[in-house]
This record gives sequence, structure tokens and C-alpha cells, in this order.
Amino acid sequence: MLLLALALSTGAPSAQTVDFNRDVRPVLAQYCFACHGMDEHSRKGKLRLDLSETAYGSGKSGATAIVPGAPEKSELIHRLFSADEEELMPPPHTKKVMPEAERAILKTWIASGAQYEPHWAYSPPRQTPLPKPNLHPIDAFVQARLEREGLKPSPEADRYELVRRVYLDLIGLLPTPAQADAFVHDTSPHAYETLVDSLLASPHYGERWARRWLDLARYADTNGFEKDRPRTIWPYRDWVVRALNADLPFDQFSIRQLAGDMLPNPTPDDLIATGFHRNTMLNEEGGIDPNEYRFYSMVDRVAVTGTAWMGLTLNCAQCHTHKYDPILHTDYYSVMALLNNADEPTYAIPTPQIEAQQQAHRERIARLEAELPTKFPGGPDAMEPRYQEWLTSERARASHWEIVRPSEMQTTLPRLELQPDGFILGSGDISKSDVYDLRLQAPIQNVRALRIEVASHPSLPNDGPGLTNYEGPIGGFFLSELQGRQNGEPIAFSHAEATNDAEPDRISDAAKAPAKPKPGKTNNASAALDGEMSSGWQVLGGYAVAHSAVFHFAEPVDLGAGLDLKLLFEKHFACPLGHFRISVNTSDHATATGHPAEVEAALAAGDLSQRDLLLLRFLETAPEMEKAAAPLLTARKTLPRGQPTLVLRERPATNPRSTRRYHRGEYLSPKEEVTPAVPAFLPPLPDGAPANRLTFAHWLFAPENPLTARVTVNRQWQAFFGRGLVRTLEDFGYQSEAPSHPELLDWLAVEFRNQGWSMKKLHRLIVTSATYKQSSRITPALAERDRENVLLARASRFRLDAEIIRDSALQAAGLLSTKMGGPGVYPPQPASVTSEGTYGKVDWKTSEGEDRYRRSLYTFIKRTAPFAMATTFDAPTGEACLARREISNSPLQALTLLNDSMFLEAAQGMAKQVMAESPDDPARMQNIIRRCLTRPAAPDELALLAGFVAKQRTTGLEGEALWTAVSRAVLNLDEAITHP
Amino acid sequence: MTAPNPNLTRRHFFQDCAIGTGKMALASLLARENGFAAAAPHHSPKAKAVIHLFMAGAPSQLELFDHKPMLTRYEGKPLPPSIIGGQRYAFIRPDAAVLGPQYKFAKHGQCGAELSEMLPHLATVVDDLAIVKSCRTTQFNHAPGQIYLNTGFSQPGRPSMGSWVTYGLGSETSDLPSFVVMSTGSGISGGAACWSSGFLPGVYSGTRFRNTGDPILNVSTPPEITPSTQRDTIDLINAMNQRRLQVDGDADTSTRIANYEMAYRLQTSAPELMDLGQETPETIALYGCDPAQPSFARACLLARRMVERGVRFINIYHEGWDAHSDVAGNVKKNCAATDQASAALVKDLKLRGLLDSTLVVWGGEFGRTPMVEASVSLGRSMGRDHHPQAFTTWLAGGGIRGGVTLGATDEMGFNVVEDEVHVPDLQATILHCLGLDHERLTFRRAGLDFKLTGVEPCRVIKEILA
Repeated sequence: MLLLALALSTGAPSAQTVDFNRDVRPVLAQYCFACHGMDEHSRKGKLRLDLSETAYGSGKSGATAIVPGAPEKSELIHRLFSADEEELMPPPHTKKVMPEAERAILKTWIASGAQYEPHWAYSPPRQTPLPKPNLHPIDAFVQARLEREGLKPSPEADRYELVRRVYLDLIGLLPTPAQADAFVHDTSPHAYETLVDSLLASPHYGERWARRWLDLARYADTNGFEKDRPRTIWPYRDWVVRALNADLPFDQFSIRQLAGDMLPNPTPDDLIATGFHRNTMLNEEGGIDPNEYRFYSMVDRVAVTGTAWMGLTLNCAQCHTHKYDPILHTDYYSVMALLNNADEPTYAIPTPQIEAQQQAHRERIARLEAELPTKFPGGPDAMEPRYQEWLTSERARASHWEIVRPSEMQTTLPRLELQPDGFILGSGDISKSDVYDLRLQAPIQNVRALRIEVASHPSLPNDGPGLTNYEGPIGGFFLSELQGRQNGEPIAFSHAEATNDAEPDRISDAAKAPAKPKPGKTNNASAALDGEMSSGWQVLGGYAVAHSAVFHFAEPVDLGAGLDLKLLFEKHFACPLGHFRISVNTSDHATATGHPAEVEAALAAGDLSQRDLLLLRFLETAPEMEKAAAPLLTARKTLPRGQPTLVLRERPATNPRSTRRYHRGEYLSPKEEVTPAVPAFLPPLPDGAPANRLTFAHWLFAPENPLTARVTVNRQWQAFFGRGLVRTLEDFGYQSEAPSHPELLDWLAVEFRNQGWSMKKLHRLIVTSATYKQSSRITPALAERDRENVLLARASRFRLDAEIIRDSALQAAGLLSTKMGGPGVYPPQPASVTSEGTYGKVDWKTSEGEDRYRRSLYTFIKRTAPFAMATTFDAPTGEACLARREISNSPLQALTLLNDSMFLEAAQGMAKQVMAESPDDPARMQNIIRRCLTRPAAPDELALLAGFVAKQRTTGLEGEALWTAVSRAVLNLDEAITHP
Repeated sequence: MTAPNPNLTRRHFFQDCAIGTGKMALASLLARENGFAAAAPHHSPKAKAVIHLFMAGAPSQLELFDHKPMLTRYEGKPLPPSIIGGQRYAFIRPDAAVLGPQYKFAKHGQCGAELSEMLPHLATVVDDLAIVKSCRTTQFNHAPGQIYLNTGFSQPGRPSMGSWVTYGLGSETSDLPSFVVMSTGSGISGGAACWSSGFLPGVYSGTRFRNTGDPILNVSTPPEITPSTQRDTIDLINAMNQRRLQVDGDADTSTRIANYEMAYRLQTSAPELMDLGQETPETIALYGCDPAQPSFARACLLARRMVERGVRFINIYHEGWDAHSDVAGNVKKNCAATDQASAALVKDLKLRGLLDSTLVVWGGEFGRTPMVEASVSLGRSMGRDHHPQAFTTWLAGGGIRGGVTLGATDEMGFNVVEDEVHVPDLQATILHCLGLDHERLTFRRAGLDFKLTGVEPCRVIKEILA
């Protein structure tokens, strides 16, 4: 009885004895380790049961927990079966009740010697000899097992079923009737292998498999949370497609995604690939703490890394040491530290075309500048007197500014670095309330004014000059207050002006009303002196922005005595400055002239030798040149840029980010700093290599790493069979379900590595097995014996993914566009999906032309209002990493297929084509069936369809409307949306 | 021909209730797949249905329920730092001056509960309410706050309360979804994550009833298809599927057949539900709604009709309470949209004998600050910022004792000083009224037994139970 119960509980049974890994550890893990595991803090009764040496000993009670071979002497058994609530384990208050079968397992195990064995997933996989050497390796293991179970494999699927299956699996599309026939009638012995190879070479292979990877990558086209603004990261999605099509070995594929930026001389593709961990959500709601949400992004990155490559529930150790697996609370933060040293910039992808355009643009600017003097109305004779006039007036306005380089710079968070030109460049993390303390000291007396020049810089978000990187105007800054002190005493400013004082405010909540000007200027340089934190000097971000503000001292200041300058940046979003320079002025007429510093310097110095510089400035600003100079001024504000995408960029050694442990996983409880490392129960990082993201990425693929290859082949297996060899795709730890075919899993894992981590070779290996090619028919005997098809006596039937269902319908209708790549598209869906209920509205402008019919991979994914059809069919929203989709079966799915306008459009498209192609009713019916189901219809099916057609005709339905109705019905068939 | 699949019987039961899913059948399926065994209620339930009136944006408890005359006395002065502690705010600085209540309060009903003059209708049912003035949350931003209140976690990805409940209890109707979501006002910060099934199967997601177009997406037959063709089409699909079932023997095919029947029923039952022509003018007047216009009031009336038809869990979101400026105007406007209908819902349910078995919950994701919000650059004045330390929620009906006021805040309305109720306590209480033990309603995923109320200890609020 015990063995039978076991059989049912693991679904993978036949051994005649209790197996520690398969049967015992899961029970101990689920019911005992929470209090008697490796976590010292939660250990009860000083008893530890996860190690034999302590389990064979005694806890606080003094009784011996486990006496191998003697359950009756083992306190553990006594406690499990005790009728005394005080003694019973697990204690009743935990509400964990160990079922009879599990208690029996532990008893049997102790009786048979209580042997501990290492967890199967934590020792490196090894290939055992094939149990049936003549067979395809997969079949050898599967059939040996079936034999032991007294089962036989199913016969090979018929050719139509097979061609449909392998198309759907490898490229996610249906074979056309012609493609199916070509295979069905191909009598060559290698017809199937030839087909497989051609599908593996199809560009649609990458599209099909990218979608599965993007589930793990939690890919989406918006930021998530309240505002859920669009983001541009589709180049990452396209990179995944390209990499899979090129069969980039899985180790390279992974290393580039985790640490492509750290490779020597990274290519643009290496950088684009790091978008993997930029798919974290970004909260841009008003007033959030950006570093709190950055912490959550890191939490997500650790969890996703654990799921995608390690099959470990690392996330369980965020708040405390893992209750089941040997992962310490500190291990969790050590893994986080490995991943936590990157900045998160937007990368403009360089291409030769873009570089050529930029070169042309620079040449155009030079040409426009050179031509400017020739454009002066009235020619040189008219120009010269006006230029002299301008010189006179501007020389009077100009004054000498002395650049002052701070002797000390301290900030709340960002790092400031002094540049050779006297500018200060900010980088690193920012907060909602940043303060810069700058000490100025120079032998300059009688200083009457202080100037802050701000300018764009390519290292800053949106080119700066500010560091704002979410919610507010990106690349802008907001100087709430400027304060000065000398020897601890406040220094008064009298007034201030800035070169953008005349611009309208654009301070409003940028996401709701993107950068709309507000009437009435309240924010300008003098607002930085008003003692009111909610007003200040703001400059918006962008390319080639340059402004300056001049702050006038109430009384002249002697800089020789030093001046402590405090810049406060405070808003409901983080808004510090990123690129600025400080100068001082001793003249009595300092003002924000608006001239570039070098122009004002030449003017103030009366250095007329710089005629070109001065004349150009005159021509750019002269009222009579307004029209002529406009092309130049516009050209300077724009630059052809590469397609932006989100990437990681490892921080410079001068500014590493430290990682702390967070007590109970709470952001507000940071504790001691941790060092980057991998959990101790796994092989260590290589000696001498720096403990960083790149080393970690390589380590995942080290031969001694027990997890990566197993986890990966298992996930691939699930794609073909609907179930992993290990059912829990995301968890290979103690709580995982033991593999149904452990030797096969290990054999495949080693083979995958030996074959150079080639995904296409692995897929080829799987689909060329007889196991894969079996019929999927569920006989009553098999339904009774193995409903979930654990033993693989047949191929697996399961509902297709949302994307494949939509793509198949479009394809059967002849509407599907095969255009690859590019920004997300907006196929038709009911307007209320995006117009109602969500805060961050999206303008779902239904795409025109072929973009209506693109593969679903390219549908724009809005996290808070995902594409309705996709959600109805269990597609993820990109809010969390997903190793395995649920497959539900609901009436809402029926309503979608029946009534959604896109499916009706598909039916209409199909009707048109079928009527053109096929002459009569039977041919048309057969054509529709072939398009949707691949196989020909049986006579009784044709009779059912004919009955429908006849009845519809009696109601007056004819022609296209009639065949639309037939197509629509067939598109709704269970078989049309099921993996055969 | 193949003999009938022995699994069909079980699956048939599942399919019959598949929109919310059947109790025993799904339970046994999931029990096997997820190690979850319970499905029937854990104890005898008081409530069969929940209507959650979610006041999104966070109403000002200080203008509605929590009367703090001290704030008037100290108006214009900041709170001492000892009260504020380390609290972070979205927009204001913690040392902002306090703002007195903008409305008058009076005692109402036999219980003598204090309500503001902005809630005249609620005042007439106050003896049916349990008003909890001591709610607090961990979140101070809308999206995380709303997601936390609905799912027990501040970020998207976990199952919502309605999903947990339908997962735990199954459905009472085979004609309508068992978890329905309606919304009025502006958009909901937390978005679809608020009614997502998270890692539970998608059938447990809340079904949106929409204000424009089809009430349920695609519930109408396209205009190109006549009703008779629709019926014939479903018959054809099911006949073809039935035939295929004999070939492949896949129980999912038979579930699919049942789902097409149910989809067909939905096509009738949804419009029938939405047809307020069946309601008397008195009822329409009670709610104060225009049957033709989407509104909070109409949603409340629809919710009652849903409860009558066996819908298990109903969310009505009314977004618009985010009073960063002019809190007085904000409260006035939103009370005009919600007060009458919220009270009408309680009255109407009671009138029809449904209140005892229907739990009504009213509240937002957090409270609002005793301090004033004003900002030159944002053009704000006389507002209140987000306040996680204290807010008010009321509950009524199934399992709840009426005429109770629980909890109190300090005299400045900043911190809870009596009977603190954390968000998980609220969730545990709602589950409790439905007969579910929050500690036993779990789902195994990625090595953990997840539950709605998370890992921190929490409690059912016994003080307000009937």
C-alpha cells in the first residue's frame, strides 16, 4: 500500500524502496525544515534534521531524533505519531498536518537505515550509459522506463498530426495545406529530418522561441505601475529573436544578457542584450522613493536570475534564511551584490547609417555657419556697421567671469566629478531630496555675483543637464534653493536671473500631461532664493541645452575666506543637477547675458581677434537674421540619434555601489554591507576572478555548476511535452518534485553542454525522437494509468499559447504578416480595454495595413492594460518572471474566439480566399478544414459542416457571409487551438 | 469508437462551473497539481458574496469619519517630530502645518457614530455599519497601496482577494463570472494587477464589466452574425468537438464543449443583468442613478443584481479621492457621487434579505495627512497628502456586527492609538466572513505556500463580527 501511495504522489514511481531524494527529503522539507533546518534563527528545540550528523543526535529534549534502522527508538517517529498535542509534530498550531502516507515514508526510511543522500539537483549531472543503446537516446530512457511500468509507447502520429505538431513547436505557425502535403507525400526516408532542419533554419523559429524566453525576461513595452508610460526596449526583443535564429550558444546568449556590457570591447548587440534585466518595472507615480523601487528592481533581478538559470527560489531568502534550501539570508544579498553594480542608461544604438547621418549633420552645421555672413540683408556693407554696433552694446553688457573649481564637493547621493573644463559631472543614484555642498575658495575679493552654467552631457539621462531619470522631465533638474555661508554665517543674495526666465513653466506632473507649459511663471532663478522649497530654478532636459543663472550677492564677498555653497534639489521626483560649472564675477554689471561663456569672455576682454566667433554670435542673434539663422539654430538642437534601448552599464571602479543586507527584506532596514558571492552549497566563483556580474554569468556555465544545464533542458522539454521532466520548472530545490526520468534529464543536460549549448541541436534531438513523434491520442487505458502523461507513453495534448492561437487564425486566413522586428504594433481590440479603468491611458491607435496582422510577438504590451485576447488565454503581463504558463479553459475564451472582431476578420479573410480557390461546397469545406486543422476532414465531419451550410442557406445566408460563418466555426474548434 | 474517458465525469463537473470553477472538482485537480487540498469553506460562512466599494485615490478620513477638532486649534503649526517619526511622504515635507477638518461632524443612529455632514445618506444606515477608524497600511503611493490592499503585496503579480476567494470557494453561478470588476471615475492607479489572479490560473481573474461597448468583452454576437447562426455555430462547434473527443479522448475537449454552452448563456445573462428596466422607479431613485449612464450608483445597483444572481466577489472602483489640493472640494464632489448609492446598497440589500449574506466593504488604499499640502510649483493649496498611518474603512452585512465603531487615532489624527487594524487583518476578516481561514487558504508556488495575508502574523477583527 505504501508503495502504491508513493506512486500516486510522485507520479514517477516504480522503485521498490524509499528513495531519499525522491520521497524523503520533500517530506522533511515541507514539514520539518522550517523549524529544524539550516536557519539558526528559526530553529526549534536545538534540533537540525537536514544533516545526518545532527539528525542522528539529539535536540533539547535529549531524545535521539533518528536511530537508523530503528524507527521505534527514534524520537522523530514517536513525535509524528503521538496522540499528545503537546508532543505531536508538526505542532498543531502550525496548521501543517503530515498525511499518513508521508509519515509512513519517514518510518520506512528510518527502518531501512535512514540514509541521507545529496540532493540530486545539487550534484553535477553525469551521463549514464543508454539503457537501450540501439535507440535514439531519448527513446532509450523513455522506453526502458515504460517497459518497467509494463507500458508500450503509442504508435507514431499520422503524418498530418506530425507535420502540424512540429511546425507549431518549432516555428509557432501552422503548415499551409501545401506545406503539409509536401511532407505527407514525401516518401524519402529522411523526409522528417529534412523538414525539421528547414524549420530550424526558418526565421520564424526565433520568433517562436523568443516568446518563451520573454516570459522569463518579463518583457513589456511600458514601465508598469500607475503611470505605466511607454518605454523603448523592443531592440532587446529583436535581439532575442536574432540570437535564437543564429543559434547563439545558450551560454553566450546568457552571458551577454547578464553582463554583455562587461565583455571586452562589447558590440552594440552585447549592450542591447543587457536589456534582459532592464525589463524590471519602473514606478513613476508622484512622490515615490526612487531608491525603494530600485531596491525592488534588484529583488526582482535576483529572483528572475534564480528562476531562469538556477532553478532556485532565491527570492525565499530575501527576508530570512531559506526555509527549505541551503540558502542563507546573507547569501541572497551576496547574489544581489553580484548584480547590483550597474547603472541603467538608455543606449542609442550606433549603426554605420546613423554615424554617416551624424557626420552629414555636423557638416551641414559647419556649412550653415560658414554661409551665415552671406545671408545678411544688404550684404557685407550693411552687415559691418550693424556688427560694430552690436559689439559696442554687448561689450558693455559683458563682464569677466572667473571659473571657480570647488575645493570640496559633498552630496547626499550622486557622485560629482570635476572635469578639465571646470564643469562638474554628476553620476550615480539620486534621491527626492538631494543636497550638494560645494566649497569655493580662491584669491578673489569683492565677488559680486555667482554664475551657474548648466549644459547637456551625453552621459546624462536624455543628455541632461539634470539627472532626473523617471517621472519628471527626463534629464532636467530643479534647484529648489541656493544658499551660501561664509565661516558658518549665511551670505545673503539680493536677486537672480537666468537665461530661461522667459520660458513657460513645465513643472506639472509630466506623465499625466507630458511637459505641457503652464501659464504664469513661478519657477525661475530667483525662486531658488525665496526660502520656499516647492519653487525653484528648473531647466528641462534635452540635447544641446545650455543655460545659466546669475545670483547676485547682497554685499561683495571675499572668496579668499572661502564660501560654502549649498544647492538643494527637492521635488516629488528626484531632480539634481548633472553637468554644471561655477564662475564668479567682481564687476558691477554682471548679468546672465545668454552668450556662451567663450563669447562673453571675448567680449569682456575686448579680444576682437576672435572675429569669427563674435561675428557668428552676432549673426545668430541679430533680429534681421532671425529667418536666415533659424536652420542653423534648429540643426544645433537636433542630432540624428540611434534607436534608443535600455541597457545596463557596469559602474566605474571609482564609484561602486555597495550592497547591504536588509533585515526582514525591508527597504527601510538596511544592515551590514555584504560582499558579492554565490551560495556556499554551490561551487565557488573561480579563484582570482573579480566577484562581479560577468564572473557570475560565466560561473553559471562552469562544468561543475549542477543547475544551469538541467534547468534549461527541462524548460525546453516542457515546451514540447507540456510538462517538464521536473514538473516545477522554476524550482529544483528540496521542495521541487523529483524528475520523472532523472537519467534522461542528466543525459540531456550533459549532451546540451557537450554540443556547445546549441539550442537548435537540443530541439532537433528532441523532435527527432520516437517519443516526440508518438500519437497524442489518449486511450482510456492511458487516461486511467497516467493522466498527466508523466511516463510519456504518448505525445502530449495541450491548448496552444495565446500568441500561437491568434497567429494561427491569421495565418489560416491568409492574413498574417511575416514582417519581423520593430516597435510594438496595435492590432484591433475592443476600445474599452485601454480606455477604461487604467490610470496611465494608452492611445491604442489600431495599426493600419499589415501591422494589424503581425505575429503576436510584436503586439505592444502594456502592463496595466494588457492585450485582452492574450490575457484571456493566459499570456503574462510582463509584471513577473514566468517559467511556465498556466493553461486555463474558460467561457471567456469561447467568447473571444466567437465574437472578437479580429477573429471575425480572420473568418472573413478566409472566406474570400476559399471562395476564390475552391469551386464547390465540398472543396470549400475541405479547404477551410485543411487551413485550420491541417488534416483533411473525415466524411462525417464534412456531413456536419454540410448540414450547417444547408441550414444557413435556408436563412438566406449565401456567398461570403456563408463561408465566413463556416470559417468562423472551424477557427473555434478545440483542435484548432490545441497542440496535437 | 473509444469508450468514455473515466476522467470525464470529474472534468464535467469542473467544466460546468468553469467560469469560477467548481468546488470539488477543481479542488481535486489543484490539490494534485499544487498540493492544495481545501476547497469548501473552512468554517461555516456568514457571507456568500462580497461587494468591495474601493475608494481609490484615498478619501480623507479627516473630512468624513475621524473628527479631530484639535487640528483646527493647531491649524498653521507643524506637528512635533516625535509624532511624525521617520515617515516618508509623496509630496509634502513632514514639517508641513496641520489643517483643520473642513466639515462639521455630528452623531447619528442609535450607535451614535460620528460622521461628517458630507455623508448624510450613510448616516441613515449607520447602525448597520462597523466603522474601523484604525486602519493602517505600509504603502504611501497609490499603485502599491491599491495593489497591497487587494493582493497583500505591494507589487503586481500576486492573486487578488477576489481571485483567492473564487479559488477557495468556487462559483455559485454558471451564467455569470464569479468575480466581477466595475469602475467609475478616472483610471485606477494599480491597474489590472488589482484584480489579477497573479500566479493562480487565469480563470480566477476578475472579469471587467465595462462602461462602454460590451459589458463583458465580446459578449455580443458581432452584428454580421444573426442570433440563429450564432446558435447553429455553437452547435456545430460542439458537435465537431464531441466527435473529436471520441478520437483524442482528451477531457479538456469536453471542458471546451461546456464552455461554449456557458459562453452562449453569458450572451443572454449579461444583457439581462445590465437591463435595469426590470427595476422599479423607487429602486432607481433609492440609488439615484440614471440607468442609461455609467456611474458609481449604477454600478452599486448592478452589484446587487449580480449578488442576486450568484456572483461571488464584486469590486467597484471609484477613483478620484486623491485630494492633494482643495480637500474640501474633493470630498464634496466624491461624496456627491458615492454617498447616496453606498447607503442605498446597504438599504436595498437589507430590504431584500441579502445583507446578512453579503459583505459590503467601503474604503481606500490609505488615509490623508493631518498636514496641509500646498505647493507653489504645482499650484496646490488646502490639500492633504497620502497618509499610511491611519485611515477609515467601514464594513456591513454578512458576518459583521452593525453599529460598531472600532479603533481611534491620536488627537491630531496622525497615528492609531487603539485597536490597530493592518491591511492583512482586514483581508483575514473578509475571508473569515466567507468561511475561509486566511492561514489555510494557500497556494504552492516556487517552493512557498503563498497566502493572501502574507507572512506577518495577522488577525481576524473579532470586535466587529456579528
